[in-house]
Amino acid sequence: MLLKQVPDTTAKISVSGGRVDESAVSKWSMSPYDEYALESALQLKEAGGGEVVAITCGPARAAKMLTDAAAVGADSLLHILVEDLSTLDSTQVQAILAAAVARTDSDIVFCGKQAADTNAGSTGPGVAHLLDASCVTMVSEVTSDGGSITAMRASAGGNERVAVSAPCVFAFDKGITELRRPNVRGIMMAKKKVAETLSPADLGVDTGGSSVSTKGHTPPLEKPPGQQFEGAESVAEVVGKLRDEANVI
Amino acid sequence: MAYEALDFYDIDSLLTDEERMVRDMVRDWVDEKVIPNIEKACRDGVFPDEWRVDLGEMGILGAPLKGYGCPGLSYIAYGLICQELERGDSGVRSFASVQGSLAMYPIWDFGSEEQKNHYLPRMTTGEWIGCFGLTEPDYGSNPGDMITRAEDKGDHYLLNGAKMWITNGTIADLAVVWAKLDGVIRGFIVEKGDPGFTAPEMTGKHSLKASVTSELVFQDCVIPKDRILPDVEGLRGPFSCLNNARYGISWGAIGAAQSCFSSAREYALSRIQFDHPIASFQLVQNKLAWMLREITKAQLLAYHLGKKKDDGTWIAEQISLAKMNNVDIALEIARMARDIHGANGILDEYPVMRHMANLESVKTYEGTHDIHNLILGRHITGIQAFTREP
Repeated sequence: MLLKQVPDTTAKISVSGGRVDESAVSKWSMSPYDEYALESALQLKEAGGGEVVAITCGPARAAKMLTDAAAVGADSLLHILVEDLSTLDSTQVQAILAAAVARTDSDIVFCGKQAADTNAGSTGPGVAHLLDASCVTMVSEVTSDGGSITAMRASAGGNERVAVSAPCVFAFDKGITELRRPNVRGIMMAKKKVAETLSPADLGVDTGGSSVSTKGHTPPLEKPPGQQFEGAESVAEVVGKLRDEANVI
Repeated sequence: MAYEALDFYDIDSLLTDEERMVRDMVRDWVDEKVIPNIEKACRDGVFPDEWRVDLGEMGILGAPLKGYGCPGLSYIAYGLICQELERGDSGVRSFASVQGSLAMYPIWDFGSEEQKNHYLPRMTTGEWIGCFGLTEPDYGSNPGDMITRAEDKGDHYLLNGAKMWITNGTIADLAVVWAKLDGVIRGFIVEKGDPGFTAPEMTGKHSLKASVTSELVFQDCVIPKDRILPDVEGLRGPFSCLNNARYGISWGAIGAAQSCFSSAREYALSRIQFDHPIASFQLVQNKLAWMLREITKAQLLAYHLGKKKDDGTWIAEQISLAKMNNVDIALEIARMARDIHGANGILDEYPVMRHMANLESVKTYEGTHDIHNLILGRHITGIQAFTREP
C-alpha cells in the first residue's frame, strides 16, 4: 500500500518566495485517493487473508500518516525517509517505492491514481513498470475469488471489469465504499506498530541528479470581483447576463 | 476551510500521540456527522440514533474506565473527547457524559462483578444507553433531601418517587437511580420495562434541543434484589459520578467556546462595514483578544486538572473551579461572539446562538455556578454556606 502525506484538501495554501510555504500548512493528511486504495486493500485482506504493508516516501512528519494507516488496520509500516520530496523527480520516487515494495515481497500494490498535491499521476504506472507488474488505473473496487484479481475501473461508456494476476498495481480513483474511520481499539493497536525507517540508499536507490527542477510556484489567480445589482429595474440586465455571459439559463 | 483550533500556548505539544489521534478522530467525526446535521436535530428535537452507533463504534463511551471492554484511555483523552463533541453541540457531549460518567462509572466503581460484566460491555459499544436519576422536581442543588424511596420487600425492592431533568431518560435501556433505603441513599439499576417505571420526555426546551431530557417516574416499581449497587452508601455515590462528569464539562465548554471564537474571528475578518473588515476595529479586536485570553486560561486549567486526574492527586474543589470557570467564560464568549456576528448571530447559519442557549443549561446542570462557588467558599473558610442549619 503506497501512501503519500499531502496538505489537507481543506487547508489554506500560501506561497512565499515563489514556493509553497509548507510550514504554513495547518493540517497534513493522507492523499484522498490513497485513502480509497487503503480501504480496498484492507477489504481484500479481510476477505482473503494476507498482510497490508503501508509504505510512504516522505519527510519525518509523514510518520503520523503511517500511524493513521495502522489505526485502521495496516499490519506493518515502512517509511522511506526523504526530507524534501521536491528534490526528487517522479522516476526517482517510483524507483524508491518499487524497491520498497520488492523489499516487502508484496505481490499486490495499491495506490491512489494521483496525489492531491502534485497531481502527477505517474506513481502507479511507474512502479508497475519497474516491478514488471500489470497495472490497472482509475480503479474503484478490487475483488478476488482466490485466483485472479478483478478490478472495476471507469471506461468510456461506464465501468469495466479487468481481471489480472499478481504481480499487479491498482491505482485508485474514488472507491465505491465508505471509508472506515479509526476507533480507540485501532489507535491503541497502532501504538505497538513501529514503522521501519530506511533511507533511499538503504534500498540501493541513487537519489542524485533529479531531472526536474521547479522554477517557482504561483498561487491561483484571484477571482474577479462579483457584480452587484439592486432594485427591480435591474432584473432584465441580470437575466441577460445569466443567459449570455454565465450561460446558466 | 479546515477547522483550526485555537492553541495559543501549544497545549498540543503536551499531548501523547494516542491522545492526539483520539482527539483528531472525534474532531473529524464531529466535522463530518454532527456539524452538518445539528441544526436539523435541534429543530426536530431528537438525538439521531446514528450518532449513538458511531460513538459506540469509535469506542469512546466510558473513555477512562478500564476493563469490561471499556476503552481505558487517559483522563486527558477523555477531556479531549468531551471538548471535540461539545464543539459540535453540548447535547452530543451530554450524551457521552451521561453514558460514561454518570451511568457506566457507578456500575464500574460500585457495582458487583455480575453487574459490571452484564452492563458495561454493552454500554461501551452504545448498544445499551444509560441515564442517571438524582435530581427531583423539588430537590436540585439539595439532593440529600430527595423524596424517592426504596423499600426492601424481601425478594425485591419497591421504588416510589420521581426524577426530573434526566438526560437520555426516554431513550435509555437502563437508569442508575439514587433513592433512600431506610433513610440512606443507595444506587439502583432500573431497566426499561421494569413494572411501574416510565420515562416521559420533557418538551419545550430552548436549550440542548438535540438532547433527550426526561422525567423518570416510579410507581410501585419492582426491582430485583441483585440490582442494588452493593459498594456505596450516601451522597458519595452520586457525587463521585458528578466529579467525573464535571471534569468532562470543563473540557467540553472549551469546545463550545472554540466554536464561537472560530466563527466570530472568521465573521469579523469577512464582514465589511465603513469600508473595512470589522476585525480591523479596536472594539472588535478587544473582544477577540478577551476570548483568546480566556480560552487559553481555560485550556491550561483543564489540562492541569486532567494530569491530576490521571495521577490521582485531584480534589473535588479543583473540579468545581474548572467546571464553573470554563462554562462561565464559554457562555460569555458565546454572547460576545453573537454580538460580533451582529444580527446574523441569531441565525442557525452560525453556531453561536445555539451554543449560547446550550451553555445556559450547562451553567446550571452538574452543580450550578453558584453551588460551585459555595463549594469553593467552604474550602476557603471551612464554613459551609449551603444551608442556614448548622
